[in-house]
Amino acid sequence: MRIPPRITQALAVTILGSATLLTVAVLLFIILFVLGKGLPGVSLEFLFSAPRDMGREGGIFPILVGTFLLPLMAIVIALPLGVGTAIYLTEYTRETRLTQALRFGTDCLAGIPSIIFGLFGFIFFVVMLKMGWCLLSGGLTLAIMILPTIIRTAEEAIRAVPNSYREVSYSLGATRWETVLKVVLPNALPGIVTGVMLSLGRSIGETAAVIFTAGSALRMPASAFDSVRTMSVHFYILAREGISNEKAYATAAVLIISVLLVNLAAYGMMHYFMARRAR
Amino acid sequence: MTPAPAVKISVRDFRVFHGQARALGGVTIDIPARQIMGVIGPAGSGKTTFLRALNRLNDLTPDTRAEGQVLLDGKDIYHASHDVVALRKRVGMLFALPVALPMSIYENVVYGPRLSGIRSRKRLDEIVERSLTSAFLWDEVKDRLAMSGLRLSGGQQQRLCLARVLAMEELEVILLDEPCSGLDPISTAKIEEALTILKAKYTIILVTNNTKQAARVADRTAFFLMGEMVEEGSTVKIFTTPNDKRTNDYVTGRFG
Repeated sequence: MRIPPRITQALAVTILGSATLLTVAVLLFIILFVLGKGLPGVSLEFLFSAPRDMGREGGIFPILVGTFLLPLMAIVIALPLGVGTAIYLTEYTRETRLTQALRFGTDCLAGIPSIIFGLFGFIFFVVMLKMGWCLLSGGLTLAIMILPTIIRTAEEAIRAVPNSYREVSYSLGATRWETVLKVVLPNALPGIVTGVMLSLGRSIGETAAVIFTAGSALRMPASAFDSVRTMSVHFYILAREGISNEKAYATAAVLIISVLLVNLAAYGMMHYFMARRAR
Repeated sequence: MTPAPAVKISVRDFRVFHGQARALGGVTIDIPARQIMGVIGPAGSGKTTFLRALNRLNDLTPDTRAEGQVLLDGKDIYHASHDVVALRKRVGMLFALPVALPMSIYENVVYGPRLSGIRSRKRLDEIVERSLTSAFLWDEVKDRLAMSGLRLSGGQQQRLCLARVLAMEELEVILLDEPCSGLDPISTAKIEEALTILKAKYTIILVTNNTKQAARVADRTAFFLMGEMVEEGSTVKIFTTPNDKRTNDYVTGRFG
């Protein structure tokens, strides 16, 4: 028996619509719940003063600074390495077993749970290299963690640049490097920026890889060799040790808003690049 | 009788392979300087492969191998010591589909000169005006050189591409790969007019699917079929009394 199209259509709209609604509702609920519990505790004083009494009192200023310095350091380390690798894989080699193995490797690396990276960072950077818990150990660990994302998004973006652009560039007497610099990279930029923003979002919220490598000091870091605490680690410690639920939620609210802002910035930058190209 | 013009490019028993398959076999031809050489033949006859061999663009295609000689002013461009980058500045290429790079009209035109290290704004400005004028585009775009090349029409983009080739000061030979296949008759007429003027200065090789176009603008014409060059001669001879029956069949529209 065939069901009349009118009914299948109505069914599809109902089922697919409810699935969408449910997803959005859960997401909204989590965000509103955290914001509702946390926002009352957020004030300028909370944002810009140092924590007192293990975070039971005071604010999160050093933690805010740590939360932005650490991912920034990770990006500064991972971006040149990742984009360089992507350029090499796409422009300087032919597709061989080796490049396929490399690509498979990066995909596997992307799927490894972050606590493994944390453990590796702890054993390698903190203990073996005697760097201790510090901004640099954490930055390097996060850089390794986000490298696969940066490589893969950059690679996709570079592959999406039309081959005809490369042919034109070569036919006008450009070398490979000049072609990469003048034609390939500018046109792959929006994709590369997306990858960077995704990685930034991921590393801002990262806890496991950070707590083992950057430590959890509450002081303001004075150099790359000082320990820092990020918002997610702060939130974890406050809640876990039962120090202050109020401050934990306030920190979580700031964290959610920060990630939201990063995503908005990514969106804005994408539009900016797109508009600039169409001019 | 005027004396026979100097030979610009001499192709000697030249063959191209894609992997195991032969794309071009045993082509021997002399291309005279400052004339238009038309190359005609049905799809898949090897004419584009032949054209792309002349500035070694086939090198970019994986698994492609060339044998034999292509002598440009007597020097083999496939010899290991030959500088490919310098070669491509002397032998420019216009592709079938216009590809304006996603940058301003001005930057499109000065792409080659900038690579050659020309920095002076005054010189670049001169190059832009000279090249766009030669490509019959200057009057249409002179007030909006900062606009993106992508916003021009297809016919204008193809003339921009021609200007971009002409902007190279080292340029001696222009290769055209069916440059008018996607263009309207007026744009086509402008390109053809530009070519007949440009041959005073450059050697031009025009691959075309449109036999009438070859008859209109080419001084000499070569006919390719299934990876071989069937025959080559003055355009009048090829189109009226060719030696080979297959050439006759093709130019009279009996096949292809």
